[in-house]
Amino acid sequence: MDKQSPPADRPAPILRAEGITSGYGGVPVVRGVSISMGKGEIVAVIGPNGAGKSTLLKTLVGILRSSSGRILLGADDVTGHPPEDLAKRGVGYVPQVQDIFEPLSVRENLEMGGYLLKDSAIEGRIKEVCDVFPLLAPMMRRRADKLSGGERKMLAIGRVLMLDPRVLILDEPTANLAPILADAVLSEQVRRLADAGKAVLLVEQRARAAMQIADWTVVLVSGQTRLEGRPKDLLERSDFEALFLGAGPPVQED
Amino acid sequence: MELYVAALGFGLISVSVIAIAAVGFTMQFGITNMINLAYGEVMIVCAYVAFYVNRAGVNVWAAMIAAALAGAVLSFLLNRFLYAPFQRKGTNLIGMVIISLAASLILANILLPIVGYDTSSYQVDQGPLLRWNGLVLTTAQIAIIVVAVLLMLAIHGLLRYTRLGKAMRATAANPILARNCGIPTQRVIDMVWLLTGALCGVAGVVAGMNSENFAVASGAAYLITIIAAAVLGGAGQPYGAMIGALIIGIVTELSAAAIAPEYKEVVAFTILVLVMVLRPQGLLAKRGALAAAG
Repeated sequence: MDKQSPPADRPAPILRAEGITSGYGGVPVVRGVSISMGKGEIVAVIGPNGAGKSTLLKTLVGILRSSSGRILLGADDVTGHPPEDLAKRGVGYVPQVQDIFEPLSVRENLEMGGYLLKDSAIEGRIKEVCDVFPLLAPMMRRRADKLSGGERKMLAIGRVLMLDPRVLILDEPTANLAPILADAVLSEQVRRLADAGKAVLLVEQRARAAMQIADWTVVLVSGQTRLEGRPKDLLERSDFEALFLGAGPPVQED
Repeated sequence: MELYVAALGFGLISVSVIAIAAVGFTMQFGITNMINLAYGEVMIVCAYVAFYVNRAGVNVWAAMIAAALAGAVLSFLLNRFLYAPFQRKGTNLIGMVIISLAASLILANILLPIVGYDTSSYQVDQGPLLRWNGLVLTTAQIAIIVVAVLLMLAIHGLLRYTRLGKAMRATAANPILARNCGIPTQRVIDMVWLLTGALCGVAGVVAGMNSENFAVASGAAYLITIIAAAVLGGAGQPYGAMIGALIIGIVTELSAAAIAPEYKEVVAFTILVLVMVLRPQGLLAKRGALAAAG
């Protein structure tokens, strides 16, 4: 195990997972992973296919239960809490696929994103989300499954922003996007959200692009943390390519 | 010509009865992923609730409210204590269908010793006959059509304009994402069963009113027509079920006039089979259940 202890200059964690082990009932997919993210920080989780990146995220947002370890949100232990409770507590999650309500209109998607808000607050919040994603404003009445890949991802992120979450968990937001659009989503949208004070956890297949915007990078291999550190430090390591990037070209999906 | 106009009148009442029933049935499938074969039998239980209330001297329209309440409670309990526990355990769709079939048989056999094998019928004041361009309907029949139209408008308003209705559609489309939004999907599903159960109860009474009489065995016959309408329109689609009901109701009565009453169901189900061959997903089906309203 090649780990570096987190330096003191990382922000205080908002979400902290310690020793998470989880999976789908059989052999655990994620084994003893600890990860945290603080205010304004982007933490990128990278790693080869089947490393357990998505499984880790699903566990953090309450879709999967961890068989050991604990998850702390601020000072509260939220281990085993259901997704709806974590949403209420400010954890927003954008899955890789099935990230919107396809048969609903764009507006209805945003309304559902703001389900926990008061009726009177929803309209104002939709306007604020449209300030972040101005392209969404003119397509409110469109059916969500009629959107292009980029528009769809904007809606998915806009939907999760409705509750103004403290923690934003994004599972491969650039999957299925054209490369130029993918870069824009990462360097503009995601970075901007972190700069606005959100703690962002990002899983990315496009490791280098993710490391360019990340403040902290965790390399997950076979369900365990192989390596973590500041992206710049990791990239300078002579064995980094061998540890991850050199492990063959990334394949689609995981 | 007159014969066809009269048939159209009967058709409109059939459409009303089928639509009320099929919309409830298809919403159960669309939102909770449950093909509830006990639906027809719940209709009959509710029909008998209204029957006893009616026999005690209460107006059949008031008895209909009692049936709606009975349907809501019975369907809610059926889901809470039978279907939902199996679904949580991961029982597959076919397994759930078998369980609902079992529920149907259990309900029928609990009901039989209580109400017996004989047929029953309501005391309905049919009111004065209303004639319009050859269309002849009793006031009570028109009231059934009005009830159906009002219920369909209410369902439309619910799904399109209310937070609960939109949450139902969101839950149907993507239950995990719905939970990630903070939607209490469990409570939403409870509401679906209460609501569709009430529709089922009303459907049981109007079906009983629309036929000469009804018996415990009528549930199975109702169910077949309901499934046909729901599948024709696209399983899980409330608007599809309304269209399916419209087609099946009108076609059966018109073909009864054109060919012979004995063949009316043959014609209806031939159309169903043809649609299934040409458009297996049903008329309105879209990827995912409960498409955007309108």
